[in-house]
Parts: sequence; structure tokens; C-alpha cells
Amino acid sequence: MSSTRLRRKAGPYALLVPATLVLFVGMAYPLGRQLMLSFHEFGRAQQFGQPAPWVGLDNYRELVTDRTMWTVIARSLAFCFVNASITMVLGTLIAVLMKRVATAPRLILQISMLLAWAMPVIAAMTAWQWLFDTRYGLVNWSLRKLGFASFDGHNWLIDPLSFFFVASVIIIWMSVPFVAFTAYAALTQVSEETLEASHLDGATATQRFRHIVYPTIKPVLTIVALLQIVWDLRVFAQINFLQNVGGTPSETHLLGTYIYSLGIGQNDYGSASAMAMFVLVLTLVLTVRYVWSLLKEEPR
Amino acid sequence: MKLTKIAAVAAASAVALTALAACGGSSDGDKAEGGSDTVTLWLAGKEDTPKKVEDWLVKEFAAQHKGKNLKVQHIDWGELIPRLNTALQSDKTPDVVEVGNTQAATFTSVGAFTDLTDKLDQLGDNIGPKSFVEAGTYDGKVSAVPYYWGSRYIFYSKKAFKDAGIEIPTTLAGFNDAAVKLKADGGDKYSGFWLPGQDWRNGISWIFANGGDIAKQEDGKWVATLSSPESVKGLTELQGLYEKATTAPKDGKDAEPWTAFNNGEAAMFMAPSWARWSVDKKKAADLGGFALPGTEGGAAPVFAGGSNLGISAKSKNQDLSFDLLKLIYSDEFQQQLAKNGLGPANDTFTGLMGDDEFAKAAVAAASNSKLTPASPEWASVESASIMEEFFGKIASGGDVAAAAKATDDKLNAALNK
Repeated sequence: MSSTRLRRKAGPYALLVPATLVLFVGMAYPLGRQLMLSFHEFGRAQQFGQPAPWVGLDNYRELVTDRTMWTVIARSLAFCFVNASITMVLGTLIAVLMKRVATAPRLILQISMLLAWAMPVIAAMTAWQWLFDTRYGLVNWSLRKLGFASFDGHNWLIDPLSFFFVASVIIIWMSVPFVAFTAYAALTQVSEETLEASHLDGATATQRFRHIVYPTIKPVLTIVALLQIVWDLRVFAQINFLQNVGGTPSETHLLGTYIYSLGIGQNDYGSASAMAMFVLVLTLVLTVRYVWSLLKEEPR
Repeated sequence: MKLTKIAAVAAASAVALTALAACGGSSDGDKAEGGSDTVTLWLAGKEDTPKKVEDWLVKEFAAQHKGKNLKVQHIDWGELIPRLNTALQSDKTPDVVEVGNTQAATFTSVGAFTDLTDKLDQLGDNIGPKSFVEAGTYDGKVSAVPYYWGSRYIFYSKKAFKDAGIEIPTTLAGFNDAAVKLKADGGDKYSGFWLPGQDWRNGISWIFANGGDIAKQEDGKWVATLSSPESVKGLTELQGLYEKATTAPKDGKDAEPWTAFNNGEAAMFMAPSWARWSVDKKKAADLGGFALPGTEGGAAPVFAGGSNLGISAKSKNQDLSFDLLKLIYSDEFQQQLAKNGLGPANDTFTGLMGDDEFAKAAVAAASNSKLTPASPEWASVESASIMEEFFGKIASGGDVAAAAKATDDKLNAALNK
């Protein structure tokens, strides 16, 4: 009797072991190592076997007193905010649209979005790079044909603002499908009966959306927004790719590329780790509200 | 609660995808198959070593070593340093790697390559060029040996020169004038001289030619000299060319400079000798070559291109790897390099590069070539794109003296780390 109860008690915990193990190997170890690295001087010499001297908080001190880091953080936050908001709004709008249109156009929309989403990043980036090419790009060509002569040979990447415009277009294009699909799935769960009843009671379309549809899909939107913030904050591949084809890297670094340039590029793994710790804290600060509201939604 | 479930599934799949993406990212850095029967050679660039030369090497290596084979992997120049930084100290290290001559110090200084000093004579009596051997030497130990050298010279369209009534220029000022005139004749879309803004490896020639330099060593410290009067003079000339002689993108780099020429949109471009084989076959008769002239005539000092080879100190195939080096230094392979326009390490075969105008231009340009500062930190300068950004600023019409001063500060910080 008691052994069954024990087994019953131990069972669920045993099931947690693999997940905990994976989390530990995949997260705790790298995180611990990163923390240790951030207190050491660790450069190329150390990578090839020299002992790494302990430098305490020196790496952090250097970063905090360097204006570059604050610029990069501010730039990343702005970029993340703009991209995540636009992606969320566009994604939700498209989901609502999918709910309204007939099957055929919806399928076309879904398939084209699925293709955009499934496209490997580097392949997509190569195509985007060609679209925005200074001399032979389709974008410049089209604008020219539309009568904007100044876009003849226009360079899209050399000005940092314009660089981020291009990057945003690409990143939003890549992330909207995920938001749209998830929001659409959530929309299908909104109870038709409730909607109909409220309609009969005289609720307007706006009221129905605010008081019935939105509360129902809110948990989904919250978690998607959370993911979107995390993704847009640590965006790397797209920025790195664009920096390699043009632009001015030192003026277009975001958190991800900045850490990469410090660590892999300049072999300053100590500073790169310290910077990565900052990003971790930053991500937590940014998302804690969402995680909290998610936890509150959980049925107890 | 259905919705929480949907949300959970969405989150889980997103996390899974992220994890997958991460796997994809790391595994592509690994080698598919190691094993001591296979020697792995990392070559830089897609086809900087011509395909047929590479094929010969693979075939010959397998023929000489029963049961062993050679596997060649191509790494893009842009990612070579980061890849080597991580690969050379891992257990899955490539056995033999090509590095750019200016990048060699980065790895020789930390002992990433096997010391070859005692074995050099087995590779040949006259290994060169000297500057390349020096680039591969650290603390008196030679651990990266010359692979091939090339020098940058000017490729031009004979027809464009004839139409414009221009002779091959003999001084740098004459060259600058010719480039501007060709552009003026060719119109808005046409480049007299194809010169992308961030292509510092070619643009630096104007600094060198005017007596300037990137940095010099003083009392064991590096002092950047881009803001010296000589350097600024060269940069100002260069800015004139960016403005009046070229339509190349201001943030373009040195990749594939022949594209515009092939499209009939440029009269001249500057590139290492092997660029000749990328020019459209239909244009071959129109293509000529000459060394960039110096301020007082002769050949201007240009940036010496080329590569070194090193054996990874972590490689478990030390003997086989050295056998591969011996094969690369064999007469037969050296001849093939030379015939393909790559300067051979064994100068007995330099003559095989031909005696046409291209070979003459290559040898003339090489006679006066220079290297970047021999600091182990130079590779960091390259991966931080400091020079690219600097030349991009000049190309975009920025203030030369101010930009040079700012870049000097960056270089001083980076080189004296």
C-alpha cells in the first residue's frame, strides 16, 4: 500500500529527470562557464592553452565605462521594441483576416506564409541582399521605374538607419507567419455561441473583440509576444549577414553581433561573457512581467 | 483548458525549433568525418586555389599513400579567422590550413601551428618569398610556410583606352587622370576604375605609394600612421577617385571586382593576378594588365596578397600532414601553381607564370609589395572591419584627416592590446 503511494509520488518526479538533465547540460553548464569566463582574462593565448588570470570585475568595469555598450543596448532595445510590436500587430491582423476570408484565399495566404517561415535564413538573406543590391537590385530598379530617379544606385546599407530599415523588413517578414498562425489557431477557439449571444444582446463589433475575443486569445498573444521579444533582442544571423555585405559594422552592432565581434572576432572571451551576462539580465528584466502574467493564468 | 495547451505547444515547438537551429549552427562547424586515414586541408576562398590544381593534389596524395586520402574543405575568407580560432584548438581540428599571410602571426604567436623550423630543408632549398617566411615566423620558429603569393595590379580594357586615346600611365598622377577621364567618357553608369568603397586592400596602395603606411613599430609599441601627412596625401587622392572615377558601391568590398568589367561597366579594376581567370572569355582579347605606377614612375608599392600554410599543432596526423606539405612543395605542384598565375613558393618556377604582360605586371608589382603590420593582433583589426569602415568613410566623402585620426586611435588600441 505505502509502496504504491510512494511509487505514485515518485513517478511524476522520475518523469522530470530527463527534462532537468537536459536543462542542466544545455543551460546550467554553459551559463556557469560563461559566468566564470566573465571574471577571467580569456583571449586567444588562453584558448590555446595559457592559464587564464582572474581579473575580478575588470571586464564588467571596462564595459560599463565604455559608451559603446550603452549605445548597443539602447539600439537593441529600440530595434527589439519596433520589430516585436510591428510583428505582433501585423501577425494578429493577418490572423483576423484569415478568419474572415473564404477558404481558397486563406489557403493561399497560409501556404505563402508557411513558405516564408520555412525558408532557411541564409537562403532568404541572399535573396533579400539581391533585392536591395545597390547596382542590380530589384528594389532600386522598381523605385526608379516608379519615377524616383534618386534611387538609381541608392545604397541601402551604408546609413545605419536605412540599414536597420532593411533589417526590420526582413526580420518582420520572417517572424509574422509564426505570430499569424498561432493567433489564428487561438481565434478558432473563440466560442461562436458567446459571440452570437452577445451579438443578439446588441454588442458592437469593437465591444465583442475587446470583451470576448481578446480575453480568449490573450494568453496565446502574451506568450508569442514574449518569444518575439526574446528573439528580436538576440537577433544575430540577419544582422551579421547584412554587415558582411555592406554597411558599417561598428555603427550597426546589436547585442548579438556585438558579443560575437568581441568574442569570436577579437578573441576577448572575458568581455564577451561579461556582455552576455548583461544581456541575460536585460532579457529577464524585459520579460519578467510577461512570465508573471503567464503564471497567473495557469489554473491552480 | 484548451488555450493554455495551444500556447504551451506553440512555446514548446518554438523552443524546439530554436534548439534545432542551434544544432544546425554548431554542427556545420564540425567535420563530417575525422579518422587518421583522412588528412583534412582547409583552403581559403571558393576557388583561390584553382579546382584542377586541387583535384591533382587529392588524386596524387591518395596515389602516394595507400589507404589514406585527402579531404579539402573550402572556408570563405570572411569567416576564416573565427573558424580557425575555434577549430584549431578543438579535437576536431583540420590537419593543414591555409591562412592569409597577414593572418599567420595571429596563430603562430600562440603556438597553434606545429614548429617546422627543423624540417624546412625537406621542403626545398629556396622557400620564398622571404617576407612570407617572416610572416610565418614567431620567436625564431617557422611554423607557417608560404603557399602562394600574388600581387595586385591593374586590369584594363584595351578598347576603352584606345577609344579615349589614353596610353598606359607611367605615374600615379597619370593613372588618376586616366581613371577620371575614362569615367567622364563612359557616362553615369560607367567606372573608369572600379573601386568599391570598403576595398581597403587595393585602396591602401595610394597610401603606400605616397610614402605612408598603416602603422610602424616604435619601442616595441605599434603607432598607427594613417594620419601622417604622407598617408593623408594618398587618401585625398583616393577620395578624388571615389568621387570622380568610380560608380562602385561605397560599402562594397574586394569580392569579385571583375563583375562590372565583365558587364562592360568598368574600364579598369585592381585585383590579384588570379582574377584574370574570372574575366569573361569573350573579353579575354580586350583584357590587358599593368602594375600600378608609383608617384615617380616604376611600380607603386602594393599590398602583397597570398597565403601561408600551417599544420595544426593539435592534429593527430603530423607525419601525413607534413607529407602533404612536401607534395605541395613538389616541383610538379609548384609548376601548376605558377602556370595558373599563382606565385610559387619555389622561385625556380616563377618564370612559368609566363612572359606576357600579365606575368610582367605581376612580377613588377610583387617587386615592391608590402605587408600589413606584423602584429599578432592584426587579425582582430581585420575581423572588426576597422580598415573597411575607414575606407568606406573616405569613399563616402568624409573628412580625411578626421577619419584618419579616429582610425589611428582605434588601431593603436587594437594593435597594442
